Amino acid sequence: IPESGHKYYLQFSTEDYRTGEDAGNCLATVLYPQKKAPPVVSIKCSHTKDKKEIQEEDNRLYQRIRHQSKPITGNNIPDSYGNIEPALEPVWALAVAGSSSIMWEKSTESRGYFLAQVKSVRQWIRKDNFTEFDYTVLLHEMPTQEIISCHMRLAWLPGHPLKVKHFCAAESRAADGGSGAESGSAAGPSAAEGA
Amino acid sequence: MRLPVLLAALVAVATCSEIFAGHQVLRVIPQSDEELQKVQELQGLEHLQLDFWLAPRGLGLPVDIRVPFPSLQAVKAHLEAAGVSYSIMIEDVQALLDEEQTEMLRSSRQLPLNTDTFNYEAYHTIDEIYNFMDMLVAENPNLVSKLEIGRSTENRPLYVLKFSTGGTNRPAVWIDTGIHSREWVTQASGVWFAKKIVQDHANNEGVASILETMDIFLEIVTNPDGFAFTHTKNRLWRKTRSKHSGSICVGVDPNRNWDAGFGEAGASGNPCMETYHGPYANSEPEVKSIVDFVKSHGNIKAFVSIHSYSQLLLYPYGYTSTPVPDQQELHEVSAKAVAALSSLYGTKYKYGSIITTIYRASGGTIDWTYNQGIKYSFTFELRDTGRYGFLLPAKQIVPTAEETWLALKVIMEHARDNMY
Repeated sequence: IPESGHKYYLQFSTEDYRTGEDAGNCLATVLYPQKKAPPVVSIKCSHTKDKKEIQEEDNRLYQRIRHQSKPITGNNIPDSYGNIEPALEPVWALAVAGSSSIMWEKSTESRGYFLAQVKSVRQWIRKDNFTEFDYTVLLHEMPTQEIISCHMRLAWLPGHPLKVKHFCAAESRAADGGSGAESGSAAGPSAAEGA
Repeated sequence: MRLPVLLAALVAVATCSEIFAGHQVLRVIPQSDEELQKVQELQGLEHLQLDFWLAPRGLGLPVDIRVPFPSLQAVKAHLEAAGVSYSIMIEDVQALLDEEQTEMLRSSRQLPLNTDTFNYEAYHTIDEIYNFMDMLVAENPNLVSKLEIGRSTENRPLYVLKFSTGGTNRPAVWIDTGIHSREWVTQASGVWFAKKIVQDHANNEGVASILETMDIFLEIVTNPDGFAFTHTKNRLWRKTRSKHSGSICVGVDPNRNWDAGFGEAGASGNPCMETYHGPYANSEPEVKSIVDFVKSHGNIKAFVSIHSYSQLLLYPYGYTSTPVPDQQELHEVSAKAVAALSSLYGTKYKYGSIITTIYRASGGTIDWTYNQGIKYSFTFELRDTGRYGFLLPAKQIVPTAEETWLALKVIMEHARDNMY
């Protein structure tokens, strides 16, 4: 689209992240404004599950988290061998959802992301009903192959959109083996909302 | 009773103390009432601290006694004086315990005794893989040999397994895994491939027919320094571990260091980046050693470099959008290979040239090998498509290796049937 950017029309099927079951089809348009992030997305999906079923699953997940006796903490999810402790699965699921909003913000026509690993997670107990987590997530960036470390703060209550704040370290790593030692001029704290 | 002894044993094991050193287990089979009585007398002599593993029950039934070292002489004298014969069942209880301890540790660390007990469904360390290679060679000396083609930056040996049924410098297939160290499913698959080749040959099926006229070279840990680093410091390390003056950053992307469009768009000149091409082509010993090997061999007909993840089968070029002259044929072979791969578990792969299928990448392995005249140059990106990415669960190793092998066979068979 002249003076605006490139617009893509997509049709795709989805599957449940945990079970792999077919979860419906989607039609979407994605507009990349002159190769800058973030893209403008409009999307419509058909769900194989009805609303009630989804609500019940959300509630089950929520209860699992609420019924822990101590604040949940974890490291390296999955671990080096691809294992995810069953007790940490809900927390991983939330990280997947939350980091997708980070990826959306950072994606361009020539740059995409995957969630490589949840490096650490710590739960913050709140006075209200929301569950809140502090994450360090590692995103795998394509085509640069870089591993980007992002700090993500996520709050969730079933029936409400996920609240995500994030701050990602600058790209060029000064030291080997870890995330950037320098604080970056990269995206400052930003809030994004997603369903 | 046995309980205090059991507790003592547990404490001993826990504290690794040797409280059974020199203890023996004697077996007596009383043949007469007198003999039975003599044995029963021993039970009453508490100061001897005897531990009856099998108490006296009747004539002709064995009595097993653990005798502490200080009491051995007394007990044997007692029995001999009465003419009661005995045998020594266990010469040294502690030695037996030590052996068992070693065996337990060994099985918990999955240290296999041969390539049949090796655990293919788990990820292994570099030592375990190097040990596997030695075992494979030892078990199949007429088929497998281990070549050292060079040393890494940190002076680790670069080993290639050669599978050959004879001949001199036969046309050959090259397969490498683990050039990017964090792509763990590839090294794990390489180990599986090695065993598979040996098995096929033994059963005269599968690649046995290929081995009649061709050799197979397999480099499993192509980037050992990086691999060691993924085990000790950073699971997501990709590059080599070379240091370059002028930067505190470490490592060069071994798949950007080859002399094909070196340094052009599609690689980074920044030493801190994951796709850093290095100061010059073949600066990395891990790359140079393969270059030297390929050139001096001179008869490699198919070259496959294996990566993960994305589920792709790729052929050259990555550094330019000019199609290779053999584009049509490579595309057809890819289609066939991918179909074979999918036939096993339904895993979906895409295929095409590097630049059209993933992205522009310069200084890549198969661009160089193709330009050397190795027509059948391919790169795989194995499972998955991003859900686990590099951290692929171990239970997917064998299915991944199995399906990939079917695709590799298509490529090898095509090379064999289309000699050039």
